[in-house]
Amino acid sequence: MDTLAHIINGFAVCLQPINLWYTFLGVFLGTIIGVLPGIGPSATIALLIPVTFGMNPTSALIMMAGVYYGSKYGGSTTAILIRTPGEAASVMTSIDGYEMARKGRAGAALAVSAIGSFIAGTIGVVALTLFAVPLTSMALKFGPAEYFTLMLFAMTAVSSLTGKSPAKGMLSTIFGLMIATIGIDLQSGQPRYTMGVAEFQDGVGFIVVVVGLFAVAEVFRGMEGLFHGTAPKMIKISGKLWLTREEWKRSIGPIWRGGIIGFIIGVLPGAGGTIASILSYTTEKRLSKHPDEFGKGAIEGVAGPESANNSDTAGALVPLLTLGVPGGGATAVMLGAFIMYGIQPGPLLFQNRPDLVWGLVDSMYIGNIMLLILNLPLIGLFVRLLYIPSGILYPLIVAISVIGAYGINGSTLDLYLILFFGVVGYIFEKVDIPVAPLVLSLVLGGMMEQSFRQAMTISGGNPKIFVGSVITVTLIVLSLISIALPFVLLRLKALKAASEDAA
Amino acid sequence: MMADRVIFVCIIILAAVYFYATAQIPSLEIGDPLGPKAFPRLLGIALLITAGILFMEMWREAKTAPRQKERITAESRRHYMVIAAVVVWTGLYIAVFERLGYVIATTIYLLALMAYFHPGRWITNILTSVLFCAGSYVMFNYVLGVNLAKGILPF
Repeated sequence: MDTLAHIINGFAVCLQPINLWYTFLGVFLGTIIGVLPGIGPSATIALLIPVTFGMNPTSALIMMAGVYYGSKYGGSTTAILIRTPGEAASVMTSIDGYEMARKGRAGAALAVSAIGSFIAGTIGVVALTLFAVPLTSMALKFGPAEYFTLMLFAMTAVSSLTGKSPAKGMLSTIFGLMIATIGIDLQSGQPRYTMGVAEFQDGVGFIVVVVGLFAVAEVFRGMEGLFHGTAPKMIKISGKLWLTREEWKRSIGPIWRGGIIGFIIGVLPGAGGTIASILSYTTEKRLSKHPDEFGKGAIEGVAGPESANNSDTAGALVPLLTLGVPGGGATAVMLGAFIMYGIQPGPLLFQNRPDLVWGLVDSMYIGNIMLLILNLPLIGLFVRLLYIPSGILYPLIVAISVIGAYGINGSTLDLYLILFFGVVGYIFEKVDIPVAPLVLSLVLGGMMEQSFRQAMTISGGNPKIFVGSVITVTLIVLSLISIALPFVLLRLKALKAASEDAA
Repeated sequence: MMADRVIFVCIIILAAVYFYATAQIPSLEIGDPLGPKAFPRLLGIALLITAGILFMEMWREAKTAPRQKERITAESRRHYMVIAAVVVWTGLYIAVFERLGYVIATTIYLLALMAYFHPGRWITNILTSVLFCAGSYVMFNYVLGVNLAKGILPF
């Protein structure tokens, strides 16, 4: 019953006025960046790290988590009103949500996505609360070899599930690992790949990489979009911001199912919010009695995916908090933040800092309630953000990125680096190389190398240690499966196409 | 695809450079059976394997998909030129950032970008850049205690 006491105590932490304020600030910022194009949760969390240096880590992490799940609420608003998902995970919402808006049901579409997000977000946090403890007791048995194989699994899953080509996903992962090797080697004290630049001895900071890849690159892309005259037409919010009885009845099932699908996908490494919402959409379409309505403004097509991508965020925090190994880009940035504050998430954190862990988890219950209030009555206010001309917004995002990057060390080298990674991110997108795997492996790279070498030291240089326990073997098999999966799927598709041709 | 071929060549070059740089790391193998070079070597090998997989993907694509000529139109070339100009302009801004200071450098930087991407609205553009720079400087320097470059301004 220790855990129950800790959970209740967590509420005492997150209900402190200062933490309530940071929860609010986090979800408020999250909603804003969810609505605005050009800057997403990963870059925002990274930019917040230097600003929050002096703060108590619990409050800082509560705020960052708020940004993360709050952005999912905001992302649906633009998906519905201008058919442009504010965040990638809202891509499914832009299909039926926009159609609903065109038919004058924008109010209902916004309402169902806020309510669905709230219910599913809460389902996700409940599941996180329930699953965290059993997982940590398993994680306590992890040695370096287990950690190495776990990180290997996280990376292979992310690299083969994001992007179109598995080879390019792997490429991105290896780039990240290579960047992580820059700097002084922790075990031997040797500088590696510093090219004689003193600043590189501490390694390349992940904040500048994330800001470059996710904010600056996005600005370049957006500026290019300005030429194509993609000034979107916005649909005015019409109808009450609430649901009719009929719409309620149709939405409640998708919300529950979406919540559960999202959580499971969130826990698994690699998949993430976009896949969760696509999966929920196809599930609802298959279960529906009138699948032909999908794509023409079916409310189930908004309720399900929006719920799924919100409970996904709670699910994604499970491996981060219990194992200390994130399964995606945004949680990797969160891990980076934890480490900057000198906190190592994982099973020991539950024993040593229950106030922090449960304060953070419990704050998500409260944050979800705040988001429901922010996103229903106040939605009109956030929609006004869409009237900011992109020609003003994009330059300002660069300036904000510069403040964040310069704020870390006061070094102009960091500014050149965000520009460099901005260009890299822009080119990567052009040639279909995903960037999320790079961020994950950059954050995990140092830990991965250390656990690899520790394991090898323990075994006296015998690599058999990586197949020495049930856990490592399972994880290696899972890694191999996730590498092979895209190839198998391609093959199956080809076979199916061939048999259809023959028929 | 043309781009994939360029990526393939870049990977090979990168792998070669990385292997060379790894060989340059001095190592004393005391109490650490692997030393600082082993993990990077594994990464280099993994990179070469990835190049192999990419080659296979290109091979398959070339066999199945009909060859498409990718054309860069005059218009998209102009867009790339503008993005390149933005990159150069940002580089210049960073180069003078500490000398001029955050407020002056950023105001000039923003004004030029807005003049191009949000043309004709001089008053809005000037007001936004000046207020943003002054406001963020005050907030970060005095409220949050994050030091932004002071430059030639006395405060």
